[in-house]
Amino acid sequence: MPIYDLGYRHWTGRWTSHPYRWWAITRRGIGMLAKNKRFLILMILSGIPFLVRAVMIYASTLVSDRVPMLRIDAGFFEDFLTQQMRFFALIIAVYAGAGLISNDLKANALQIYLSKPITRRDYLIGKLGILVFFLALPTLVPGLLLFLLAILFKANIDFLREFYWVPGSILGYSALIMFGFSLVMLALSSLSKSSRFAGVNFIAVFFFSHILCNILSSILRTSHVAWISLPNNLTQVGDMLFGRQPKYLSPVWASIVALAVLAWGSLWIIHRRIRAVEVIS
Amino acid sequence: MSAVIEAKSLSKWYGQVIAVNKVSFAAHSGVIGLLGPNGAGKSTLMKLITGQLRPSQGEITMFGGRIWNNFPLFHRIGFCPEQDSFYERMTGTEFLSALLRMHGFSEDEIARRSKLALETVKLVDAADKKIGSYSKGMRQRIKMAQATAHDPEVLILDEPLAGMDPVARWETIRLVRGWGKAGKCVLVSSHILHEIEAMTRNIILVHNGQILAEGDVHQIRDLIDKHPHNIYIRCSRPRQLAELLVAFPDVISMRFHPDGDALTLESKKPDEFYDRLPEVLLKNGIELEEITSPDDNLQAVFQYLVK
Amino acid sequence: MSVESALVRGWRSVNTIASLTLDTLFWSKKTIFVAAISALIMLLSLLGRLILTYRWIRSPFTPEQVFSSLMSTAVIHFLVVFVTLFYGTALISEEVEGKTLTYLLVRPIPKPTIMVGKFLALIWISTLLVIPTIFVSYAILYVRTDMGPFLEDIGVLGKDIGIVFLALVAYGSMFSLLGAWLRHSILTGLVYAFGWEGIVSYLPGFTRKLTITHYIQSIFPHEDAGTSIAMMIGERSGLLESILTLILLSAFFLATASLILREKEYVLDQ
Repeated sequence: MPIYDLGYRHWTGRWTSHPYRWWAITRRGIGMLAKNKRFLILMILSGIPFLVRAVMIYASTLVSDRVPMLRIDAGFFEDFLTQQMRFFALIIAVYAGAGLISNDLKANALQIYLSKPITRRDYLIGKLGILVFFLALPTLVPGLLLFLLAILFKANIDFLREFYWVPGSILGYSALIMFGFSLVMLALSSLSKSSRFAGVNFIAVFFFSHILCNILSSILRTSHVAWISLPNNLTQVGDMLFGRQPKYLSPVWASIVALAVLAWGSLWIIHRRIRAVEVIS
Repeated sequence: MSAVIEAKSLSKWYGQVIAVNKVSFAAHSGVIGLLGPNGAGKSTLMKLITGQLRPSQGEITMFGGRIWNNFPLFHRIGFCPEQDSFYERMTGTEFLSALLRMHGFSEDEIARRSKLALETVKLVDAADKKIGSYSKGMRQRIKMAQATAHDPEVLILDEPLAGMDPVARWETIRLVRGWGKAGKCVLVSSHILHEIEAMTRNIILVHNGQILAEGDVHQIRDLIDKHPHNIYIRCSRPRQLAELLVAFPDVISMRFHPDGDALTLESKKPDEFYDRLPEVLLKNGIELEEITSPDDNLQAVFQYLVK
Repeated sequence: MSVESALVRGWRSVNTIASLTLDTLFWSKKTIFVAAISALIMLLSLLGRLILTYRWIRSPFTPEQVFSSLMSTAVIHFLVVFVTLFYGTALISEEVEGKTLTYLLVRPIPKPTIMVGKFLALIWISTLLVIPTIFVSYAILYVRTDMGPFLEDIGVLGKDIGIVFLALVAYGSMFSLLGAWLRHSILTGLVYAFGWEGIVSYLPGFTRKLTITHYIQSIFPHEDAGTSIAMMIGERSGLLESILTLILLSAFFLATASLILREKEYVLDQ
């Protein structure tokens, strides 16, 4: 074909179906982080609490229920997830998530993404997928593995009969942590071109809400204000999921509403910020 | 005359990657073009010359003294970096004044020099606007202004014409030539041969961190022209075209491709060949589908030089 | 050049860098967030004041208790650390990421001058954002028609402001060092501030002296539950020892940051 005849040519390759377009973003993001040595070290370190708990499960088979700390019940698994949430999940969310959208804003890559046949929803799901994947690794995966280990080590049908519902609670609590952290982190990442800004503000939201709650509790002499604190809200709902007495006086539904408002607020921010062009009013 | 900038077996590596490899040269007053493709090591070399990087081996000196951590030397150096980065909230005047203040000038002198620098790069009208609102060409010009405002003896300009429109490009070339004539040592880097040619005849050719050629650009060009150029043509009737082209005196060889739709020829004078080809094609109704010259890039030039 | 003119030139350069940095730090989204947190702290003191005035709960606390809680929890444990972490790690890192560091490195000023100028800007902005919060919270809680209680505890307020300033300098210098040295300075700073200091403060013996918070808590006139437990496990350091250690640590961190800036090659990503 002569040069002057060459114009737009249709793609003759294979088309993937639309529901899976986000997977290209997620896969790429996971691949890039997986090559980062420091991040891999962090992920390996986040497995240490799992090892400690695995040893505790083993030790519990030797000492039975004589030592309260080694009692393997629903609370054991909830405590593991809460411990991971307060440190490793936090650090992983910052490391993996702070730059997810802010770096795209800095490099003007949003225009490139959204000029492809993907929607803003695909972009968001793709980015969310990266964070959810890496947050599942220190929470959901070891949580379920610990339960499996407990069954294997106990070799006792009574344990399974009593705690058959715990994997569902592990899934629920982990999902809360994974999606809660991911949405807030992505919202903060979308607010600035600086990943540093997003990371520090995520920590601020987490810790300052807790400090605010503690101060209000001491001023008002009650823990009815626990719903102000993000970690407290997660713990309250976690207590409910694992059938434990809630630690704070504030009702569980208040924590659920607070978390829902936070999630909705995060989605609203992301919706406003993710666009192909800057709208100047 | 002693050299202004002198490099002796200068090398710089990052881990396993050698960015600059045993480079030796001497730069005197006047304009010197640092020419090479992307990734040749030009920017690394400029960073070594401006003291932002420390040599891994060898030495680089300016006015006889080492550059790394020799801060008094920077009274005499002006650097225009390649990256398009600024303190976006500052106006052009504020930006220049802040940097001039670090040179120890009085406030009156700062005001005078800022005004002069802005006039030189024709940014007076935009002087009090925030740099964040500047166009690409204006941003490039304010970069040039900050490099020259303190009237340094040595100017290091890394890709100074990037992003400029043709008028600004011509004006900058004129300025650079003027600085060279005024006795400054001006080192300009680019990957575009004709840009450098417009500014100076003295060039240093860099490739893979090494200097391949140094000296007058026309001498280097003649070297290149001694080697014939390969030209690949895909068309509707290659054999008929070959019959017609064999009459060109500069065409010294031809071969046909196995698929029968293309030919590659060697020409001693590619510019003349390109000038004549369209007429031949039109007169004989031959449809051109593709034409490339594997030699029409610096890579090929350097390959010839390396052979 | 005489020593005097060299000093004057040096101070001018420090001042120029500080002004440039202050402008960049102040007009950024960071300041909005920090101001929001400061405002929340002041709102808490207002809430405390309203509760006290209208007796909304049966066993009212005292203004001292509210102020103490605010100072020890929100200000020292959080605001000071947050502000210095946020701004301190950004001093050099943002210049590297923004690729503007080149303009400063090719000026005829010693590189340590750049570090000192930026550090000065950090202290200015963090003082501007934190100290008024303390003063306003104090005023909200204590100001009455009878100014007796306000003036009685003014010495405590003065001490608080002094200690907070020292904390800003100590944490600020440490995070500035991290920013000049490490690529992922924020994460390292977070792990130190909210990980290391949180855990080590509760360990017995000498280990607690490996944190800045130990020396601050030792001279801090207020106590919260966390401080009490930590102090029960180990001893406080003396007043003079704590102040000197904080000053020496700050000087050490700042000197090390200056040395790193002088010797390190900053490769700006193209």
